[in-house]
Amino acid sequence: MQTKSIDTTLQMESPSPRKFKGLFSITWQKLVIWFLLVLLTVFTLTPIMYMLTASLMPARDIMKMPYRWIPRTIHSENFIKAVVGNDGSYIFLRNIFNSLIVALVCAITTVFMSALTGYGLAKFKFRGRNLLFMLIMATMMIPFEAIMIPLYMVITKLGIQNSYTGLILPFLVSAFGIFMMRQYLITFPAEFLDAARVDGMSEPGIFLRIVFPNCKPAIATLAILAFRAQWDNLLWPLLISQSEKMKTIPLYIVKFTTEMHTDEGAMMAVAAIASIPMFILFFALSKYFLGGASVYSSRKG
Amino acid sequence: MSIQKHKVKHLSVERKQAKWGVAFVVPSIVFFSLFNFYPILNALYTSFFKKKILSLNAPDFIWLENYRYLLQSSSFWNSIRATAVFTVGTFVPLLIASLLFAVLISSVKKGNKFYQMAFYSPAVLSSVVSAAIWLLIFDPRGLANQWVNVLLNSWGVDHNWLADGTMVQVSTMLVYFWKYIGYFIIIFIAGLASIPGSLYEAARIDGATGWQEFWRITFPLLKPTVVLVSIMSMLQCLKTFGIQYLFTQSGAPQGPINVITMNIYNTGIRDHRIGRASAMSIILFVIMLFFTWLQFRTSKSDSVDY
Repeated sequence: MQTKSIDTTLQMESPSPRKFKGLFSITWQKLVIWFLLVLLTVFTLTPIMYMLTASLMPARDIMKMPYRWIPRTIHSENFIKAVVGNDGSYIFLRNIFNSLIVALVCAITTVFMSALTGYGLAKFKFRGRNLLFMLIMATMMIPFEAIMIPLYMVITKLGIQNSYTGLILPFLVSAFGIFMMRQYLITFPAEFLDAARVDGMSEPGIFLRIVFPNCKPAIATLAILAFRAQWDNLLWPLLISQSEKMKTIPLYIVKFTTEMHTDEGAMMAVAAIASIPMFILFFALSKYFLGGASVYSSRKG
Repeated sequence: MSIQKHKVKHLSVERKQAKWGVAFVVPSIVFFSLFNFYPILNALYTSFFKKKILSLNAPDFIWLENYRYLLQSSSFWNSIRATAVFTVGTFVPLLIASLLFAVLISSVKKGNKFYQMAFYSPAVLSSVVSAAIWLLIFDPRGLANQWVNVLLNSWGVDHNWLADGTMVQVSTMLVYFWKYIGYFIIIFIAGLASIPGSLYEAARIDGATGWQEFWRITFPLLKPTVVLVSIMSMLQCLKTFGIQYLFTQSGAPQGPINVITMNIYNTGIRDHRIGRASAMSIILFVIMLFFTWLQFRTSKSDSVDY
């Protein structure tokens, strides 16, 4: 019995289903799989549900011992408190706006520059091309955390700390984006390019009108990655944004949660508001999110 | 004559095209030189100086003094320990669980997409938001105590999730595990999907058991993905910052979770000791370089054809 149950539970490891040996063992196997999957689903979704429900409750209900998952009434004061802020300055709205600007600009420039460079590396032959490609790939090994202080010195020397330029400048293009675009464009049919050249189209024109519009899936994936990286970025704004006005969402959340008298409901309301753009993107474009993660698996060697 | 002329013309077209290729690549090269290569060289250079932000005195060249100081500093070794504990304690469970669940998801037909989205959804939240949520869950009156007490059948015990030195390390690992499990599951699913089903059919004809199928087919063919995921998650764990930062800002003890990035930030930005922080950055860079090199080496020797 023991060995048999081990044997059958391990059959699930083959991606294609296997013909069942017996009704009893099959149900056992399915039950175990189902149980484990539901367990992990509960684990991953509970904190998100907690955030959403707690954002609708008054603080005293959130910290009640058996947590009630269904709010008694919709306690919208949390959201008002979140937007107004503890000091009534409405700075939250400004900070959301800052995050949006930075994330959008970085996403746009990253996509465009990566596509351009990736195209140059994939479809043109020139001396030193492989060396340049290797150099760009080498930057992926430099962790941002190791260069943030010299970068900070550069930005202060340029006098653009505490500005959008300072927040955006180090993230205009990403080495990973170039790598992704190059891999994507390497299989782009050269006949299209040659046909356009014969028609007398200029090289920038070919890129803008033929290549760029034809790599939509890669663009969507990369745009999401770049947008999310900036929406999530804490460390760099921590160095660069000095005034309340130039802070981004992650900084606001840190400030808001660490203020002594912040109530828990408002804290979760802030967290929920900050997550809305990402969740909208996630549900609308889940294909590209899930695709974006798996792009990495093509990165063998 | 005409052939030669044709050849010359062809060459010039290629040369013209090559110029455009260079023109397309140059902007990014300039960017990377300014914002990646220059800063890392600058960090290396600065690490040989006793330098403070805002100080008007010329920085003193002290050669390897910063490194010598760090190697004798208990705070630095504590950061190395905290980072190592966090990294090992996070990426080993992540690796095992994501492989297991990727295999489980691939074996079910119904709800495949739902599970993928459910598991992935924490990765959508920003790390500060996740830390804020878990801050409330780990509150003495919060969900973590309630649920663990139900499981352990211990009533009213406070497990000091954020106050106890050991527990706060476990808490940061748990948050990280929760946030990234779905991400790595999806990478593994992509890896599993690339294994041709005909291999399993052949094995089944030969009478292989499920156990044998996993260890003889799935695992060896998935090895590049396993290596990739382990190195990637390891590199990510080495760079962790947001969760630890928010936890300490809200009153958790700093010592146990003072990871190396937080130490760099505090030394460089709070205490203004740029030279020492740069030396730490270079050490972090070398550690990560080592693991990247390891990835290249292992993934090259493990390349499989099927």
